[in-house]
This record gives sequence, C-alpha cells and structure tokens, in this order.
Amino acid sequence: MNIIATIGDILSQKIEYLGGRSIADVIIFFVIIFISFIVAKIVRVNVRRSFKEKVPKTTLIAMEKIFYYGILFIGLVIALPYIGIKLSGLLVAGGILGIVIGFASQTVVSNFISGLFLLIEKPIKIGDGISVGDVSGVVKDIRILSTTIRTWDGIYVRVPNEKVFNSSIQNFVAHAARRFEYKIGIAYKDDADKAIKIIENLLEEHPLILKEPAPQIFVEELGESSVNLAIRIWAPSAHWFSVKTEMLWKIKVALEKEGIEIPFPQRVIWMADKKAS
Amino acid sequence: MFGKYDLNVHLEQDGVKIEVEGRGKKKIYRRVCNGEEVEKHIYAKEGNIVICPVEPVNLPKEGTAEHLLVKLTKPIIIEPDVESTFYVTFPVEIGIFLVDKKDVERIDIFTLTKPKYALYGPPESGIICRWWESDVYGEVPEVKRLFEGVLRVDAKNSYREWVEISKIVFRALDMKVFYNDYAYMHARLNILKKTVGETSFNERKPKNMQPSIDIYEAKGIKKLEKKFVVEWGLK
Repeated sequence: MNIIATIGDILSQKIEYLGGRSIADVIIFFVIIFISFIVAKIVRVNVRRSFKEKVPKTTLIAMEKIFYYGILFIGLVIALPYIGIKLSGLLVAGGILGIVIGFASQTVVSNFISGLFLLIEKPIKIGDGISVGDVSGVVKDIRILSTTIRTWDGIYVRVPNEKVFNSSIQNFVAHAARRFEYKIGIAYKDDADKAIKIIENLLEEHPLILKEPAPQIFVEELGESSVNLAIRIWAPSAHWFSVKTEMLWKIKVALEKEGIEIPFPQRVIWMADKKAS
Repeated sequence: MFGKYDLNVHLEQDGVKIEVEGRGKKKIYRRVCNGEEVEKHIYAKEGNIVICPVEPVNLPKEGTAEHLLVKLTKPIIIEPDVESTFYVTFPVEIGIFLVDKKDVERIDIFTLTKPKYALYGPPESGIICRWWESDVYGEVPEVKRLFEGVLRVDAKNSYREWVEISKIVFRALDMKVFYNDYAYMHARLNILKKTVGETSFNERKPKNMQPSIDIYEAKGIKKLEKKFVVEWGLK
C-alpha cells in the first residue's frame, strides 16, 4: 500500500520545469497521443480495405490521409491542455483564421464534398462515356477535387467536382443496352413492305444488333419527296456507336441493290400553258 | 476435331481447316472457316495443341456478354414439386490452345454459328446475353458437332404453382464444358418463383468425355459463386 501511495504522490507532484504540471498529466498527454496514433492507423487500414475496390487509388490515398491526420489532430486537441497549452486562445485566433481560410477555401471544400458525393452516388465510373455540361468524352479519373475527361477529340479536360455534381450528367454506358434511330426515305413508287423486309434481313445478319428488344422498322411519315421509314435499333451500350456508323451505309446499299430508290428532295412544277393565258 | 494434338497438325472437317506447321521453334498457325482466314506465328519448342469447345460468349467481340440465353422454340410447362430432365442445344465456339507443362495460351476462338445477342431484363439493370434458339428434346439429340452442343437441363419446380419456361439464362462463368466428338454441358434449373429461377452447372465429368479448357480459369479468374439467379422472367 505504501508503494502505491508513494507512486501516487510522485505522479501528482507538480514539477516546475513542466510548467507546474504533474508527471501524471505528462503521461496522460503521451497516452492520448499514443492512442490517437493507434486509432488513426486502425481507421486508415479499415478505410483502405473498405474503399479499395470502390474508389480510384489517388482518391483512396487522399481519404486515408484525411482520416489519419484528422484523428491525430483531434487527439492533439484533447491532449494539449494536459501539458498546459490552453486552446481557448488558439480557438479565438483559430476562429478568425478559420473564417479567413473558410472563405478562401470555399470552392475547394465544395469540390471536396461534391467529390465525396460523386463517389457515394456513383453516377459515373472511370471508363464511362459521359456528357456533363458542355464536355463530352470518356471519364479518365475521378479525384477528390476534380474529374478528368478525355473528350472524343482526345483533349484532356479537368472538370471541378462541384460542376460535375451540380450539372445534369448523361452517362452513355450506364445501362447495358441503348437504342438509336435512322430515318430513311424511299420513293413513293417503291414498295415499303419490301424495303422493311430487306432492312430486317440485313439487321438480322449483324451480331450486335440485339434480338431482344427487336429492331422496329415502320413507315413513320409520308414526306414531301419520300415515304419515310423509321428504323429503331437496340445495341449493347459498349458497341452502339460502331454499329450505328456501320449500318446506315449498308442499309442504303442493300436497298439500292434491290431497286429501291432513296430519292432526292423534289418538287413537281406545272408550267402555265401560253395559249390558255 | 476436338482433342489434343502435336505441334504439327493438319485437320479438315465440315469446311473448317486448321493447321500448325513449321520446323524447330517457329511454327505457323492457320485457320480457315466461313471464308475467314486467320494466320499467326507461334514460337514454341514443345507443347501441344488442344482444340475444344469453350464457353460460347467470346464472339464476335470478347466481353460483349457473359451469359447465354437459350430461347426455347416451344415452351415447357412444369407442375409443382416435379423434377424433369430435358435437352436443348447451345452454340459451339471452338477454342484453339497451346498447352505446355506450365501454361495454357489461347491461340484462337471461332464459331460456325452466327452469333446474336439479346438484352435480358430491363435496359437499366438487365444484362447482355448471347442469344440462341433451341428445340427441346426428351433425349440426347443429334447435333451438327462443330456447330452446336448438347445441354442437359435438370429442371425442378420448387414453386407451388405450374410454371411455364420459354427462356433460360446461364452464366458463362459457371459453365463446365465437356467433349468427346461433340460438346456437352449439364445444367440445373431450380424454379423458385413464377418468374425467378436459379441456374448452375454439374461439374462432374461424364463417362468417356474430356473437360474443356475453361477460358476463365485460363485467364486466372476465380469462380466464387456457382449459381446464377434468373430474375427477370422465364418466359
């Protein structure tokens, strides 16, 4: 009992060169810092494991750092009063500084929060073909502050996450399949049923034109110079553009081969008879 | 045509010509089929050529689909708590592999069928499947061996009502293809609800048959789940 009492006395003894703090206070300070390190490391490992498959590597590193240093900072704030550093003064100064930094970093924070929401909501993924605002292309990276897009022309564009998050996003490959449409006019003298049959057979030959939902081909309009057919085709989202660029010319060739004319715009003009006038 | 061959081989069957020729390490692989000719250089001192049917989802572009949808020409109606076995056909894709003691390398995959794809389920959450139409048979049907294989389906209706089936979807990752002179798979279909089923494959090797080279295992992809839930209808 005496030994315990003696240790207790030593620990509670205030030491002058420690700013009037006791040894116990100093030990508590170091224990809090130590625990903060342990907690920060555990959280960092768990963040890494939880988000490894879900977010890009660069974002993951940023997230790890934010959690790690955030916890260390909280530990430091809790521990500092034990060694006599009062945070009230710091808080006043920090408050003013915070307001200044807050105003200055408003956009950065906004981008950061938007980035987090983008990662949670996942409206886009790396490799997706998208259109956001006036930028259209393939998503190359989703970072914590910005999203990089390679436009269809091969240009690198960095879009702040706030803009991505607040804009309407068109993701061209989010769904497994998508539909596209052609409009083709045939001459009034030609048989529309025959033309539809020719196009149906042609579409059947293409492996990537989906069997279900089946293509739709129908007379959509009796136009000024032609009977207009609408051709609606479903294709896998990953291949729709190559199918679209390939098929239009093939349809034109197939129709002409079977004697079906794709007419130019034309107008019949009746000339007034001289004698009659 | 299916089987294991030396590095110098010449095969011709049903309009398909496959040959590997050359001396020493340098060989030339040549395949002619449906008017398409493929030629590749192979540098290999030893090994074998294996020609076998593979999971039918690789053509015309790998990665287009990972499922096979078999559309039945005539629907099957199964009463509750009844198990029945029927046979359908599936499209054959033929894989040519270079096999040595350490590794398996894919040289070529081709098919005599005309690949066609379909969307199974709604556009926003459905999947792209290789589409194939088949009659339903009560016993092992005669098939054009390089064109179509035999798929045995053990169907069990675990639901309390009669269920009509006119399409079945299988995941390629679950498939286990076997061959002798024709391609063969053995699947199970467990009907859980009127519109929901579960498909899986029997991996036990049938008598007198060889297991095909699994394209997923050859790529180092591990198979974890071995069942696929057919959730967007069986009709």
